[in-house]
Amino acid sequence: MVVVAAVSAAAVAASGQGRSERSVAPQATQVSGNITFATWASNPIETKLLDRFLNAFRKKYPKIKVNHLTFEPGYPDTMLARFAARKAPDAFYVNMDLALDWTKQGVVQDLTPYIQKYHYSTKPFFPKLLSAFQVKGKTYGFPKDWSPLGMETNNALLAKAKVKPPQTWAQLKSAAQKLKDDVPGGRPICLSNNWDRLMAFVYQNGGTFINAKKTKSTVNTKAVKGAVDYYVGLIKQKLAGTPAQLGVDWCGEALGKQKAAIVFEGNWVAPYMKDTFPSVKYKINPMVRNKRRGNLAFTNSYSIAKQSKNKPAAWTLIAYLASRPGQKIWTGSGLALPTRGDVTPLARFKVLVREAPYAHPYQFAPKFSKVLDVSNNELSAVIEGKKSSQDMLKKIQQTANDALK
Amino acid sequence: MAAVRTDRVEGGRSADVREALVGYGFVALPMAVFIAFFIYPIGYALYISFFDWGILGKFESVGLDNYTRLFHDDLFWRSIKNTLYYTAGVVPAQMALGLLMALAVNQAIRGRAFFRAAFYFPSLAGSAAITAVALYLLSSDGLVNTILGTDQPFFGDSDTALQSIMALNVWTTSGTIMLFYLAALQSIPTDVYEAAAIDGAGLWRTFWKITFPLLKPGHFLVAVLSVVGCLKVFDQAFIASGGTGGPNYSTLTAVLFLYRTLFGDFEFGYAAAAGIALFFLIFFFTAVQRLLFGRAEVGH
Repeated sequence: MVVVAAVSAAAVAASGQGRSERSVAPQATQVSGNITFATWASNPIETKLLDRFLNAFRKKYPKIKVNHLTFEPGYPDTMLARFAARKAPDAFYVNMDLALDWTKQGVVQDLTPYIQKYHYSTKPFFPKLLSAFQVKGKTYGFPKDWSPLGMETNNALLAKAKVKPPQTWAQLKSAAQKLKDDVPGGRPICLSNNWDRLMAFVYQNGGTFINAKKTKSTVNTKAVKGAVDYYVGLIKQKLAGTPAQLGVDWCGEALGKQKAAIVFEGNWVAPYMKDTFPSVKYKINPMVRNKRRGNLAFTNSYSIAKQSKNKPAAWTLIAYLASRPGQKIWTGSGLALPTRGDVTPLARFKVLVREAPYAHPYQFAPKFSKVLDVSNNELSAVIEGKKSSQDMLKKIQQTANDALK
Repeated sequence: MAAVRTDRVEGGRSADVREALVGYGFVALPMAVFIAFFIYPIGYALYISFFDWGILGKFESVGLDNYTRLFHDDLFWRSIKNTLYYTAGVVPAQMALGLLMALAVNQAIRGRAFFRAAFYFPSLAGSAAITAVALYLLSSDGLVNTILGTDQPFFGDSDTALQSIMALNVWTTSGTIMLFYLAALQSIPTDVYEAAAIDGAGLWRTFWKITFPLLKPGHFLVAVLSVVGCLKVFDQAFIASGGTGGPNYSTLTAVLFLYRTLFGDFEFGYAAAAGIALFFLIFFFTAVQRLLFGRAEVGH
């Protein structure tokens, strides 16, 4: 009781000091303990940065011992085993794809009481990104970083064909027609045969996958069909190719190997190009638009385990990691984009951050993993010409409605 | 056996019991491991399949709902169809190729030891590694397409994806099949061949009328192991399709369906039901083979 009163008093007093972080987390002297923090490890640069990040935290809160665990490969599977064994790490990353399922399964802690207790302002977070980790008004994680899709264009190829980076669907098509002869294989655009790229075009045509209440699927509509027909149309007209058709694993590789002049990837393509194809000069442009602007957001969160035995310490950690000074450290080197409006991104990523208002998290409802599997399989059938887009949308809508029941 | 028994008629009973106990003692530890890691999980999976089971345990009991849902799940039936197609293609091909290689290295030819090792070598490389390399070799501008002069994305086209995995598996596993057949071949007494030669039987007749029938125990062993292995195919399908079972459901095998249900939707009960269904399918096939090939043993 006394501790709570002291902390609240300190919070009230400190809140007058403006952006002091002391007002949003327990005092460094009051919280202690050992906690485990689990993350994946996509590349060594990210790991090194995370080490520095955690050391900054350790300096600020010396009484909290953070044991950093990396589960690579197979982060989700390892976490699943840990949850089931009741040995969950105290704090961990949550992938946006799994956030709704993990929340529904009851393994993620509701942060709302801590947000209220420590007066943690969630206003600076981009609303759409934060909403990816909110269910029924409760917050289950803070977005750690994110990226929308950008349109990357090969400088040399576009200059050669005298083409400006397209801004609309019509311009994209005509740009591809002009670039046809400048790429081996004759397909200047790389389009992934996956809804995690197609969906951006669906939003640009005013379509949606499910309704706002998440009670039924809205995918079998004219707007969605229009987007699908345009997207698949580019591939069928040989103006675009899927990664398999271009002989690459993903469209970033097509950009690097110069098999495509226009690709749609997020900021993850930047370190990849720098490491693997440093001599290829490309530009990140805003996403194309049609009836309206539409984009996808890919993000992950910092969250706490419901099973955690030291939630105050775990809260302190994620509150710090997601805070303004925290995100400054994490995103300062351009490895990722900040999820807060009050952290300035690197100049060359400003074009991506500006997509934030139109970027919908690529996430729908619990138990949607199967629906997306079906959607992607159906899409590949349509691309191969074995099915009509109408039939595909009917099938997807039916599968989605079953999952939403 | 009878001779021994009459010798020990006095201490006979307790000697038998002692011998039996020693036997059980040796088997006890492996049996305990087998029960703990095979029987118990199967029983537990059967138990789970009657519930709506999540990460942290059961949500509620649903009786046979998981099985009825499975029955009406066209994704599940597609996965069974793919798995059966795969098995029907791979098993005869593997057996034929394995038998051919066994016959070849059974001859007294120069470099026989090298050929035995070379034919067996693909079996040693892990299926995951081989599939990962195959992704490059069979990509639309990979080595195979360059040689053939085409640009067919083998794993990216639903007409060729599963077939490519089948070909890959035949190549990998036929080395192991070769070993089984080699052992069976060498157990055929040579006087049978001498008799056949005296009777004037040619190469083909010797093989078809003598060697092939005498290999029946080998056929049975190889067929069972092959079929069971094929019905459980997972690694190659997972890696080649990136876990999606695509393109167009072509590489969705039964175990991959189970995996996606478990790790994608966290429906442990439903996945357990799929696992039990697969168990019965494999059991059915093994029983059928036992009936078909089992009768052959009576003739010996």
